[in-house]
This record gives sequence, structure tokens and C-alpha cells, in this order.
Amino acid sequence: MQDFPPRIATFFSGTSDAPTPDPDTRSPAAFLRWMLRQQWQVIVLSSLACLLWLMPLTFGPYIFGRAVDDGILGGSTADLLTWAGVMLGVVIVGGVFGVVFHTLVVRSWLISLYGTTQMVTRKIAQMGHVLPRRSPTGEVLSVASSDSDEFGALTEILARSAAQLVSYLTVAAIVLSMSWQLGVLVLVAAPVLLGAALPLLRPLHRRQQTERSRNSELTSMATDIVAGLRILRGIGGEETFGRNYAVQSQSARRAGVSSGIWQAAVEAVGVLLSGIFLVSLVWLGTRQVNAGELSVGQLVSFLGYGLFMVGPIRTFFELAQKSTRALVSARRAIAIFEQRPPWREPADPVPLDGRAEIVDDLSGFTAHPGLLTVVVSAVPEQSAALADRLGRYLPPDTDPVGEDDADGLKGRAARRARADRERRRARIAARDEEAATRAWGVRLGGVDLSAARLDDVRRQVLVSDTGSGLFAGTLQDAIDPHGRLTREQAEEALRIANAEDVYDALPEGWQGQLDERGRGLSGGQRQRVVLARALAVDAPILVLVEPTSAVDAHTEARIAARVSDLRRGRTTVVCTVSPLWLHHADRVVLLRDGIVVADGEHADLLEHDADYRSVVVRSLDDHDELGEGVPR
Amino acid sequence: MTDLLATSPDTWRDRTLDPPVIPPELHPPVDASPAERNRALWARHDLRRQRAEDVYDASRNPVRGWPVSGNRAVLAFFRDLLTSRKGMFAALVAFNALAAATGLVVPRLLGELVNTTVDGGGLPLDTLALAIVGVVLLQAAFTFIAQRTSTIFGQDLLSTAREYIVRTILRLPLGAVESASTGDLVTRVTRDVGTMSRSVQYGLPMAIISLLTVVLSIGAMLLNSVVLAVPALLTFATSAPAVRRYLRRAPKGYITEGATYSRINTTLTETVEGARTLEALGLSGERVRAGDDDIEVSAQAERYGMTLRNVLFTALNFAFQTPRVITLLVGAYAYTRGWVDLGQITAAVLYVEALGDPLDRLIGEVDRLQVGAASTSRLLGIAEVRPDREAGDRLPDGTDLVGDDLRFAYRKGHDVLHGVDLRLGVGERLAIVGPSGSGKSTLGRLLSGINRPRTGSASVGGVELVDLPLEVLRTEVALVTQEHHVFIGSVRDNIVLAREGSDDDAVREALRAVGSLLWVERLPQGLDTVIGSGRYSLTPAQAQQVALARLIIADPHTLVLDEATSLIDPRTARTLEGSMNNLLEGRTVVAIAHRLHTAHDADRIAVVIDGRIVELGSHHELVELDGEYAALWRAWTS
Ligand SMILES: Nc1ncnc2c1ncn2[C@@H]1O[C@H](COP(=O)(O)OP(=O)(O)OP(=O)(O)O)[C@@H](O)[C@H]1O
Ligand SMILES: [Mg+2]
Repeated sequence: MQDFPPRIATFFSGTSDAPTPDPDTRSPAAFLRWMLRQQWQVIVLSSLACLLWLMPLTFGPYIFGRAVDDGILGGSTADLLTWAGVMLGVVIVGGVFGVVFHTLVVRSWLISLYGTTQMVTRKIAQMGHVLPRRSPTGEVLSVASSDSDEFGALTEILARSAAQLVSYLTVAAIVLSMSWQLGVLVLVAAPVLLGAALPLLRPLHRRQQTERSRNSELTSMATDIVAGLRILRGIGGEETFGRNYAVQSQSARRAGVSSGIWQAAVEAVGVLLSGIFLVSLVWLGTRQVNAGELSVGQLVSFLGYGLFMVGPIRTFFELAQKSTRALVSARRAIAIFEQRPPWREPADPVPLDGRAEIVDDLSGFTAHPGLLTVVVSAVPEQSAALADRLGRYLPPDTDPVGEDDADGLKGRAARRARADRERRRARIAARDEEAATRAWGVRLGGVDLSAARLDDVRRQVLVSDTGSGLFAGTLQDAIDPHGRLTREQAEEALRIANAEDVYDALPEGWQGQLDERGRGLSGGQRQRVVLARALAVDAPILVLVEPTSAVDAHTEARIAARVSDLRRGRTTVVCTVSPLWLHHADRVVLLRDGIVVADGEHADLLEHDADYRSVVVRSLDDHDELGEGVPR
Repeated sequence: MTDLLATSPDTWRDRTLDPPVIPPELHPPVDASPAERNRALWARHDLRRQRAEDVYDASRNPVRGWPVSGNRAVLAFFRDLLTSRKGMFAALVAFNALAAATGLVVPRLLGELVNTTVDGGGLPLDTLALAIVGVVLLQAAFTFIAQRTSTIFGQDLLSTAREYIVRTILRLPLGAVESASTGDLVTRVTRDVGTMSRSVQYGLPMAIISLLTVVLSIGAMLLNSVVLAVPALLTFATSAPAVRRYLRRAPKGYITEGATYSRINTTLTETVEGARTLEALGLSGERVRAGDDDIEVSAQAERYGMTLRNVLFTALNFAFQTPRVITLLVGAYAYTRGWVDLGQITAAVLYVEALGDPLDRLIGEVDRLQVGAASTSRLLGIAEVRPDREAGDRLPDGTDLVGDDLRFAYRKGHDVLHGVDLRLGVGERLAIVGPSGSGKSTLGRLLSGINRPRTGSASVGGVELVDLPLEVLRTEVALVTQEHHVFIGSVRDNIVLAREGSDDDAVREALRAVGSLLWVERLPQGLDTVIGSGRYSLTPAQAQQVALARLIIADPHTLVLDEATSLIDPRTARTLEGSMNNLLEGRTVVAIAHRLHTAHDADRIAVVIDGRIVELGSHHELVELDGEYAALWRAWTS
């Protein structure tokens, strides 16, 4: 039987084993079924435990009735004690299984909750940089943190409803055995009561949906405020944002009140109907007692059962509400889980050789093996795009598709908005796939990157782009995230990136804590740690995008010298316009509109290419700086 | 030069010696006898309690991150909320009591009915049946009114509470905001507000209803028959010690759970945001493991809570279920003695039975309230962040910014600035340059009043920056750093933050100055295009332009730009700085930059090395001087 936290190997196994089959994402209902199937044993057992926990309710009135008839009215102490003993037994079984039920419910709830979070993490691991292109961060996070909870709630209510159903049928059977009229009444009552309340459930559901969407809007506002708090506190705007939040909060309150009032109506109708049911049961019962068809004890049992009916009915209401909520959550989860990596692993992959020449057809760029090539472009985005191509990354040019403003839309309009979003997402996916499956246009040693396995590409070519950031953890974890460096190698990496001062700034040295995104370091320190990490990986081909944009010229010069030294004999590409790197370049390539327009040595280009000069020369054509600012 | 890595061998850790995420004692033993397993279970429970207490103690006064407030603060918070709604609260209690009371009349009438049936005495059957119908109608009506009141009350309480929290966040001290982690704060405003709202919205009214029902039921039981009620009530009372112990321990358990969910969320956020880095470095496996470790820790916290509840349930089950048997036995005995009639026994048993439901609910709600209280104390913890400044009443006289003997330490005993003196002329453009990590950004933060210097003073017009009310401070100095954020909202909303009333012309003017008007006008709805997370997304360079446009609208007399154009390509950046300078004629600008064209174009340059200003002068003077700056300039332009 499963336990929590569950072992999940969906999407990404982390080992050489293939991941387990994907969840069923054909429809929200199919997804929920799939999820429940993953832990059916726990759910079945917990409904059994729940059934036993309900025993005092199911059998209590019957036992009491028998005790009244045989013991009290019949005057038999022995019978009385027997029935009291039976009651005690039932109560004890109920108590024990109450605890078992609770344990199992926690288990199934957490299996769903943790399992969903784990699946989200694995989905990110599987999709890598492709996922944020399609789904906004907030949505990915909310599947893990709030939708997962709805799935947990569903497992609980399912187990409880199943048990309540059996218990209800048992009660009906007991009553039926005593009087068929009353038995039929009990059997018919629940469906009738539910049916009578159903018309109220639909408007309630609609209002709850509005309430939920207002609340989620509220949550995303709060998240936005927190994320931008530095700016709000620094520049201002607290008033506006505080007010906007308050306005939204009030509108959420109104939605909540309106759905709450419907809820109250549903509850009241429930009370009314079960009360009427009780009265008819009792009235019929007393008539039967008077007619001698029923004993007094049996009547007493009926009274107990009349009160009991509230339980199952309330549970079934809850089931209806929680399953619609779970369906909404499932739809959101599917939007994440159904994404497929656009890549297709080639049938027979060609192994790559990182010591060979790498060529980009689109720009006409070539990096010769073992050399340091600097890519110069007046528009940084264009050299970054080249770096992405060399590393087989999809271009970062799409807008992820969010769950936007479906609020206020009802019925058909909401469905249309949803379909529209799905189409947009599908369009991005199709475009990604188109780009990812055809020949990539970058060849390493004559082999197109699409002919090799993607992890082989990642092993051979490491692209450290400007978005590369640090994760919370110790300095040692930051430099050596894989845990495969020796101390000497790590020190070497720090030295090459000229980041020894970071080590020095942390009192605990390697064990000094860095916060999320390296907060607690200066901007340049952060960048140098990132560089050290990339250098320590020791990839055959290393592509660095603006690796030193946040450091001073001296530091940059040191880094450029050390890096070119370290990487001697291995292919290195650096995208920058800084002369400090250019001095160390074996080859320089100039891009215009993303196409290679010139290449050669820095000094040559400087002398002969006016375009090149205009991009890289920093001396500001001032009068009096001759001698200082003249390029060498 | 000393070897900065001298201590490296001492601090490097051998990862094979890393302790497992959770100690092995927390795993249940395999093939042990039932007795041993039982002992191990309690040993684990004790260990988990210890862990929960450690987490709680640590979170009351955290080294890093946000604190958690104590129970007293939570109680006071809700007391305040309740006292300001006395009338509403009284109505809530009254209507719920009426609903519960009418509900309790039913068993009594049913007992009466049994009596009539058994001995034919008392009221006629049909009258009784009609009476029950009447009572049921009343009960339904009261239930509706009571629930309606509860909803209105609960929603009102909830919206007040969450608006209070957000207002608190919006008032967090500047220094704290700049240095603390956002992951935990985000978890608090999402998950914890969610939990709190569930407990305020359903938990509180439900707990009140259930409590009322229980109290009234007990009253009704006593009214029905004292003989039958007393033994049952005594058995109920046996659960008191277990309940007390639970109430003492649960809060720490739930706060610990909350902390583990914060951690899960923080890790996951990092994973999503760093997806590309993880892919590039082949770290996905490590990251998945890190997430699993967080969940492993969280599962231990959940197990602690589960065992706590199980112990409580065991006690409650005994206390509230055995009275069925006791009532039956006592009833039978009292009946033979003629102390009670059958109707009373029936009613008593129905009461005991009917008590089960509200009691179950009461326990469930108390539990939910505990969870809610834990979340609330995490939320109120935000309010406990001590303000880092006390606004004085002096207002600046003049606009000259002066730094005098500025020292600052992020960590005690490690000054990163060592006595910086700086006097800014009005309308001056000062560039700050220097090696990475030398304290430039720190100086920028002191000069914009974000942090209080450890010694010395940073003042404007003779008044300490950190003694100014924030609203005044902002009109004096503003800081823009490399860290940017685009709010969910229209382009216009994103720019007019500091001056809400700004008209579109001003916005366009600002956008033009930062070179963004063109792309903004090309957006689908121009200024009205909704941008931000999950909406139309901007490139980092565009986001930086938006940040600068905000600053232009804010229009303080002094601007501190800490690498504020570093994500924009050098050529554009220089043009942009030029056009901004034109627009900001007469404003003082402090620009921290590694791109020395900024320094070149500035009036004066301060060179900061190791927390000291070592050179100060214009480009020409410093080049002339042939010191640090000249060397830097030579290196930069080489
Ligand atoms: N939030 C922080 N907590 C602790 N230490 C910090 C923090 N911010 C900076 N430091 C430390 O203070 C010193 C100065 O940092 P600062 O950010 O002022 O440097 P900087 O001159 O701006 O460098 P850069 O050019 O790299 O941005 C550094 O050693 C850094 O590690
Ligand atoms: Mg800095």
C-alpha cells in the first residue's frame, strides 16, 4: 500500500530507468480517475475504516431499540446487559477505526498533495526551459500549492461518501426488515432529498465559482505586491496597490457573501427536508405501533435513524461540491502536465564529439576547435540568440499563456475564452515542436545537433546565459552543485572567476549561506560565482553570454586572462563587446542582424572594419584623451 | 596579498558525511516485534515534538527570514476584530443559539411521542406531529438566518484581516524588504491567507455553532433528566486532560507544518524560475531530490500532527461514545425504579447520539482553528518586524545630500564601508565606480535612505535620511537597481506608481526619455496593454526602461541609479542616459556603473575601493592624476 510521501517517477525518473507512464490528461475527469487509481488501495481501506467508524451510528439505534424491547420493557436484565455489551463492542470498534480512518485519510490526502507537487517538480525537470515559455510561473506554482490540496480533499470525501452510502443502505435494510413501509421511506428519502436540493446547488455552484476566481485574483495580486515590494517601498505606489487590493478584497467578500447565502439556503432546505422526513417517519411509525405492527423499541430505533439521515445527505452534498472543485483544479493541472517536451530523441543517436568544430548555418558562425571565439554584436539579443542556438535552446520569444481574466465571463463566453487559451498554448507547442524536430541547423563535427541525444548536447555544450542565477544554499553547493568536485578544483574555479572575495566575505567560508538568487552578495560577486560554477563543469564547449557585465574593468581583465588560459585547447565562445575579452580572443566574429559579417583577429578587424570599430571601441571621441583612450 | 582562501580546507565539507535529511530514528523499524514497534512509534513522536519545538523557537526569532508571532498576539488580533463587531457577533450567537435550541426541542418531542404511544397518555399523536412540523419549520428558518449572519460576519472578518495583512506588508521597513527572502513571504500571503480565511470563514462560525449546540444539548439533557445526564456528562469530562494537552502542543506542530510548506514553495519557486539554468547544468536530478527532501521533512511534521490528533481522538471517542452504553444502563435501572419514563430515556439517548455530530464538528473546527491560528501567527509575524526608523518631525531645508563618516556592516563586526564622506552639489552628476564588491551599492543604499549607517550620517537639507517620513524621503531621493519587477497591470499603472494623477502626456514624455515610447505604442493596446507575470511579458531591457520611466514620474530631486541601465545594450544605454539627463536638468544624479562612459559623462567621479572613497574628481582631473581611476579607464578602453 502506498504511504506518504509517495514515490513518484512520472515525467522524470532521475535514474536511467524510464519514467513511469504519464498521467491521463485527456480530460479533467480522466485525470482525477488516474490519480485515484494510483492509490486505490488506500482509498478503499479508508472507506472500510470509515464504515466501521460509522458503526455506532448505523447499529446504535437498532441495538437501543432491542434493549428497550427485550431489556427495559421485557424486564430481562440478561438481555439488557447483552445489548449493552453489544453496544459497547460497537462503540469500541467504532473508536478504534475512527483512529484508523483518520490515519488513512491523512495518508491518502498527503499522497495526493505531495504527489502533485512532486509531479510538478518532475515536469519542470523534464521540460527544462520549455515550460516557462508556455505556462506562467504563478500557474505552475499554484497547481503544486493549492490544486494539490483539492485533490487531497477529493480522496477524503470519496472514502467518506462510499462508507456513508453503504451505511445508509445498511440502515435502510435494517428498517426494511422491521417494516417495509418505513424501509421504503428511508430508501426513497435520500434520493428525493438530494433531488430536491439539486436545483439550489447549481446557482450555488456558479456563485462559488465567481468567489473562487475573485479569490485567486486576490492571491495573484498579493503575490505581485510581495514580488514588487522593493519597488513599492522604494518609489511609492503602496496607496494604489493597497487600494486595489482592498477593492478586490471587497469584491471577493461580496462574492463570498452571495455564495454563502445560497449555501445557507441549501442548509436550511436540508434541515427542512430532513425534518419533514423525520416527522413522516415518526408519524407512520406511531401508527404502526398503535396497529400493533411495530414494537415500541423499533419505534425508538426509527427515531434514532431519522436523526441519522442528516449525515449521509450532508456528505453527498459535500461530495458534489468537492468534486466540482477538484475538476476545476484538474483542468489547471492538466494544462501543466499535458505539455510534452518538443524534442524527439533520434532513433539512432550519433554521439557528439566536443573537440570538433561547431557551425551554425543560420548565422554562418563557426567556432574552431580549441579556440576562444568572441562574438560581437551591436544588439546583445542577437548574440544571445546565437548562443541559444549553439546550445539547442528554443528562442525566448513567446508569451506564456495565462489563466487570464475569465472572471465575469459566464457559460459560453468562459468556455470560449478557455478554448482560445488552449488554442494559443497548442500553437506555441506546435511551433516549438516544429523547430525542435527538424534539422537544428547547428552542426558539431558535421553532426546536426538534432541527430544526437539532447543530454549529449547538454554535456558537450554548456551555455551560461544572462538569466543564470544562484539557488539558495551554501557557497560550496553553489560552486559544486553536483557534488563531484574536489576542494582544489572548487578553489581553482573561484580563482579563475576571481571570486575569492566571496569566500572571504562569508564567515563560514564554503558553508556560508547564500539566499535565494544569491541575495546577500554584491551584483558582481553573484555574477562571478555563476561564472565559477560554469567553469567548474568543465564542458568541452563553453558558451558564455555577457559573463562579466557586472564587474569592473580590472576584475574583468583578470577574469578574461584566466579564463582564456584555463580554456586553452577547448572550444570557448564568449558573447560580449568588451575589448578586455577581445584582447584574449583567438578569433573574433562580428554579427550584424544576426549574420556573421566579418571574422578574424581583433587587431585586424579593428584596423580594417569601421563597423567593428564602431561597436567595440570605447574611447569616447573626445579631444583631450589621446594617449589615454586610443585603442591599442 | 594574503590568501583569501586560507581557511578553505577547514570549511570544505565532505558530502559523503552529510547527515540524511531526516534522522534514521524517524524511520519505523523493519521486522520488529509489535511491542518494539509501539515503543519506536512513541520515541518517534517525542523526537518529532522536539523538532517541532525547535522549529517554533527558531521561528520566533529567526536569524534570516520573517518571524512568527506568539499566541497572545493572535488572540489579541481576533479579540480586536470581534470587539469591533459586537453587535454583529451578538446577532450571530443569538440566531445560532435559536437554531440550535429549536433543533433540540425535536428529540424532546419525540420522547413525548414515545410516551404517548406506550401508555396513551399525554398529548394526542397528531398534535405532537404537527408541533414537530412547526418546530422543524422554525429550525429551518433560524438555520437560514443564522448561517446568513455567519457568512456576512465571517466574510467581513476575513476581508478586514487580509486587508490588514496586506497593509502591514506595504508598510514593512525598507531595510527588511531589501534584505529578506520573498519566497517565505509569498507563501504567507498565499497559503497562510488561504488557511486563515478557511478558519475565519467556516471555522469560527462553525465552532461557535457547534459549541452552542453542545452547550444547549447538555442543558437540554439536564432538563430532560438529571439522573440520565450526570453520568454521561462525567464521562465527557474525562477527555479534558487530553484536550488540554492537545491544545498546548498543536500550535507548535501546525506552525512547523506551515514552515515546511513555505520551504517546499520556496524551493519550487526557485526551480521554476531557474528551469533553464538547471537544464543547462544538468541539475534537474539534484533539484528533484531537493524537492523530495523538503517533502520528506514536511511529511515528518504532518506525522507529528497526525499522531497528536490520533491521541486526542482516542480520548474523545472514549469520552463521547461510551455514554451511549452508560445512558442505556442507567436508564434501564432508573426505569425499574420508576425515576424516569421511557420517553426520557429515548430523548436522552437521542441527545447523546445527536451530540456526536456537533462534537465531531467542534473538534474538527477547533483543529481547523488551530491550523488557522498557526497561519495567523505566521501572518502577524510580519507585523512584528521592528521598524528600522522612527520618522522625526524635521523637514529638510534645502536639497543638498551629504554623507559624513559613513560606516555600515551587514554582519556585526564586518564593516563594508569605512568612513565615507561625500557631499553632493545640487544638480550634480556623480558617478561611483570601483571594484566589484567594494561597497558601491551599499553606499547607494545609505545615500537613498534605505539603510541606516552604523556610524556617521547621510542627510538631506540637514536632516538624516532615515529620520524622514517615507513619503517625504521619496520626494527627496529614489533608488533604482538592477532588480526589476513588472506589476500585473497596464503599462500606465506600472509607471505612475509614485504620482497616481499623472496624465498620459507625462507618461509618454517619461517613456520617450527612456527610449520606450516606440515599443510601447506598438503594443496591442498601447499604454493600456496589461503587462506582468502571466500577461504580456517584457524583456529585461524593457523592464529596466519601465523602471527608469517610473523614476522620472516620481521626480525626486536626487536619483541613485545602481547599474540601472546594465541590461540595456551599451549604445542604447548611453543615448538613454543622455536623454534622461536632459529631462532631469537640475536634478542630482548618482550613477553607480561599471560602464565608464557613464563616469566620463558625469561631473564628478568617486572611486570606491574597499569601502573607502580613494579618489574624487572629474574625469579629466582623475585621468590627469593618473591613479586608480586612470588605470581603470585605461583598462576599460584598452
Ligand atoms: N545583503 C547583504 N548581506 C550581507 N552582505 C552583503 C549584502 N550585500 C552586500 N554584501 C557584502 O557587502 C560588500 C559590498 O557589497 P556591495 O553590493 O556594496 O558591492 P558593490 O560595490 O556594489 O559591488 P558590485 O560592483 O559587484 O555590485 C560585499 O562584500 C558583499 O558581499
Ligand atoms: Mg553593486
